[in-house]
This record gives sequence, C-alpha cells and structure tokens, in this order.
Amino acid sequence: MIRFSGKRHGYRNQLDNQNNKLNRPDKADLINMTFKTWIKTITFYEIFVGMKVTMSHMLHYRPVTLQYPHEKRTLPDNYRGMLALLRYDDGVEKCVGCDLCEAACPSRVIRVVSAEVPDEPTKRYAKEYYMDMTRCLFCGLCVDACPVDALGMTREFEWSVYDKRQLHLNKEQLLAIGDRSFPVREKQLELQHPNVAFFNVAFKHLPQKPS
Amino acid sequence: MTELSLRLAVSFAQILAEMSIVMITVATMTYFERKVLGWMQDRMGPMEVGPYGLLQPVADGIKLFFKEDIVPAGANRAMFALAPMLTMVVSMIGFAVIPFGPNMTLDIFGLTIKPFVVADINIGVLYILAIASIGAYGIILGGWASNSKYSLLGGLRAAAQVISYELNVGLALVGVLLLAGTLSLVEITEAQAGGFWHWFIWGGRPDGFFPIHTQIFAFVVFIISAVAETNRIPFDLPEAESELVAGFFTEYSGMRFAFFVSAEYANMTLVSCVASALFLGGWNAPYPGTIFEYVGLEQLAWVEHIVWFAAKVYFFLFLFIWIRATLPRLRYDQLMRFGWKVMLPIALANIIITSIMLYFFPRS
Repeated sequence: MIRFSGKRHGYRNQLDNQNNKLNRPDKADLINMTFKTWIKTITFYEIFVGMKVTMSHMLHYRPVTLQYPHEKRTLPDNYRGMLALLRYDDGVEKCVGCDLCEAACPSRVIRVVSAEVPDEPTKRYAKEYYMDMTRCLFCGLCVDACPVDALGMTREFEWSVYDKRQLHLNKEQLLAIGDRSFPVREKQLELQHPNVAFFNVAFKHLPQKPS
Repeated sequence: MTELSLRLAVSFAQILAEMSIVMITVATMTYFERKVLGWMQDRMGPMEVGPYGLLQPVADGIKLFFKEDIVPAGANRAMFALAPMLTMVVSMIGFAVIPFGPNMTLDIFGLTIKPFVVADINIGVLYILAIASIGAYGIILGGWASNSKYSLLGGLRAAAQVISYELNVGLALVGVLLLAGTLSLVEITEAQAGGFWHWFIWGGRPDGFFPIHTQIFAFVVFIISAVAETNRIPFDLPEAESELVAGFFTEYSGMRFAFFVSAEYANMTLVSCVASALFLGGWNAPYPGTIFEYVGLEQLAWVEHIVWFAAKVYFFLFLFIWIRATLPRLRYDQLMRFGWKVMLPIALANIIITSIMLYFFPRS
C-alpha cells in the first residue's frame, strides 16, 4: 500500500506531532492520571461534586416557581388571549357584518349572520355572531382581517370550564368580554378623521352635502 | 398472672409509642423529602395545604384513605392483599431492637423496664438482618401477584437487588460485631461511649485516640448497600418510574399504595437508625458524657442522648434525600457489578483486616 509520502515531513507532520503530544500523554503522565482517576473513583469525587451542586442550590434558595393562582406573570404586550367584539364610544357595535373574519378563520370558529340595520338601508351589522372557542387557536387572523377593527384580543386566558358548550359564545357574550377588557373605546370613524369627507347618506349626524 | 399482664401492658405501651414515633417520622419524611428535593431543584415543593404546605402529609393521608381500592383483573387476591401488609409490618417490627435512648432502667409497678428500647435481645443485629430480608418478600409478592408485566419486572429486580445487597449489609456489620463482641444493639452502642473517637466509624481503642480499628470502609459499604436495600435512588430499579411506571406497586392504589410508600420511608428510618447505632455511636454524644451531667442534671441526660440519636438519624435521612436529588439511576448490570465486584470484596477485606488488627491490638 502506497502512503502519501508528503505526510512524513513538512508542516502537516509538525502539526500532527504537536497534536500527538497534546493528545497522548507520556508514560509518567499516564501513571499520574490513572492514579488521580483511581483516587477520584475510590473517594467518590464526582458524586461529591454533584452533591455540592445540589447543596449549593438548596442553600442559595431562589425558586423559579410562580405560585400561579396567587401570583400571575406579567403578560407581553402582544399577548393573544380571548377574542372579543368591540364597540364605539357611543355604544354602537363596530361590527359591520362583512364576514371577512369568518373567511379568514382557519379553524372555522366564527359564524356571522349579517343583516341590514333597520331603517338604514346602506348600513349592515352582524345580526348574530357566534364563536366556537373550543376550536380557536388564537392566531389573530380574524383581528387582522377585520376592516373596522371590530375584533380585539384581550389578555384573558383563564377560560377553563366544566362544560365545553360554555365556550360556544354568542354576540352578547363576546361584546361583554370586549366591554370589560377594553374600557377605553374608539370614536366613530368619521369623528376620528374630521378632515376626511364622509359623503354617505348613512351618516345622519354629519353635515349633509349641500344640494 | 398479674405480673404477666402488667408486663404485656407495659410492652404494648412501649410498642405503641415506638410505632407512633416511627409513623410521625414517616409522615415528616414524606413532607421533608418533597420540600428538600424542591429546594435542591430550585422549586418550592408543596406550598398549598397549610402554611408552607405543612399539612400536606395529612392531606395525602386523607386522600389515600378515601381512594378506591382497585384489585386488577387476574391478580392473585390473597397475595395481592398480603404483600403491602407484609412489607409494612416487617418495616415496623424492625424498630423493636433499636435503642432510641440510653440503656437506663425504670421501675414502675414493681417491674424493671428499659424505656428506650422495646426489646433488648442479645441477637439484635441478626434480628434486623432477618427482618429486612423478609421485607423483600413483600415486594416480590406484590410484583408477582399484580398480574402486570411492570410489577413482575419490578419484583424480579427487587429480588435480585435486595439479595445481593443484603449480603453486603451483613458483611459490613461483621467488623462492628467483631469490635463490640456482641450482637445486642444496646451493648454495641454502649461500647462506643466516650467521645466521637470511640465511635466504630473512627475505631479508636478505649484507651487511645488512634483510629486503629476504623470501620469507615464498612460504613461506606453499609450506607451504599442500605440505599440499595431500601430501593432508593440511585438504586431504585424495582420502582424505576421512567422504565416500569412504578415498578412493583404499579397496580396498587389507596391504602395499599400508602402502605408500600410508608414502608419505604420506615425502612429508610430503620437503616438510618442501624447506621447511627452501629457506626456513629447511637445515642452517645460526640464528646465524653453529656452537658446535662456537667451542669448537674443527671436525671435529664437521657434528653440529650435522644437528641443526639435523632440528629444522627435525621442526618442519614437527609443524606438519602440529598443523594436522590443528585444522582441518576444506575443501569441493572452496573448495579450488580458494583454490588458483587466492588462492595463485596471491600466488605470481605474489611472483615479480614479488622480481625488481624484486633488480634494484634485487642480492644481491652
């Protein structure tokens, strides 16, 4: 078998030599090492090192436990908790019944029954609005999809129930969640943007277009 | 006849007191173990029941008492019922020969009794070894009678393990028996009076300080074998929860499960008592005499003795928990190799060396 002769001398060989010296101790070292390891074995050195670690953890007692029902962690700002329906500051529901949340939902949690607002044929609202929270995976796509920001994600997460039918929420329940979680409400859109002209017959409280 | 009945009554009272002490220790240990394990693992342990979870043993006891008692289909009902009782009884009666306090006598109703030891029999060590071996039967029976593969494997492991390590326990004690020249635990403890250098772990002669008859190797062998014999981590193969669900008591529930668990803690306490009585001087303080004697309260010296005994026993119990918090479980072949190829030769060599040293340097 022909060996690569370049390996016998040259830079590579020096490197190998150095490595060998580092890796392979000579005989005196070997005896010392084995003696040391032998002493370590019979005195249970490693076990005592481990027991020192556990003892130091006991003496420097800093538990990472959070006593959950009594103390709760601070949730991050973008926490995605229970879903809720929101209102404007005058108490009108934001939802316009456009069904976009229903379309966006990957788990088919939401069911919207849309209807015209009585006496205002240009406006629509959600006559019925159901959420089956047993299926919700809290992705937040419905909140993103909503064109009027009628959906919000609260910071509630303690929604364990004994009967899972209690997680099938209707519009009133969702509005109630929104009422208690978002006490500060937005103004109506047209009032938020006073410099934008809203030419719509539905806005009866706005000055009408001169005719 | 009246004397016999009186004697029976006194013995019964002693047994009752001893058993309640052991049961209180067991209850304390269940709480203490969870707490200390929690502290060592940066947790809190039980915190909910009572202040700092102090009532957790009570809550556990009530819960286990009212739990449904399930006997698995196909189980041997008689054996299944017998196993926890056997384990429990055996772990309890071992305490009969343990001297909790000094070897003083008390005269009541014309009877002379020893208040701190239930039965000072002259084969105490032999009795404890015999009783501890019977304890293995409970485990094996429980594993076999459950009609479950996990239980059976646990029982088989327990059989092999307890037998191999029982041998080392016995051989480790021989050195101490050679030094003391007796099998009675009371007399062995009395032979170690007068300072920690007379304890058999150090082994100084009564007239000297030099540790010429040291039993420290026997002590280490005894402690390791005791951990293995009580099926504690790192030798908890019979109930290896990550491999065998719960080992031999997988199928047990309710009070029968509680019996197994409290028997485990009682066994721990028993081996701790034996270790402190045989190697660490039992009730003797590490200094000659007692402080109460020095200040002139000889009548109260027994309090100090009992405190020292309890301190030693609780040190060993803490050691058990500490080891549990530190070490992982051994593999089965490692366990067997360690027992037969390491512990056994050390114990045998210890006997030979102790005998030779005793021959050339007799103790008195």
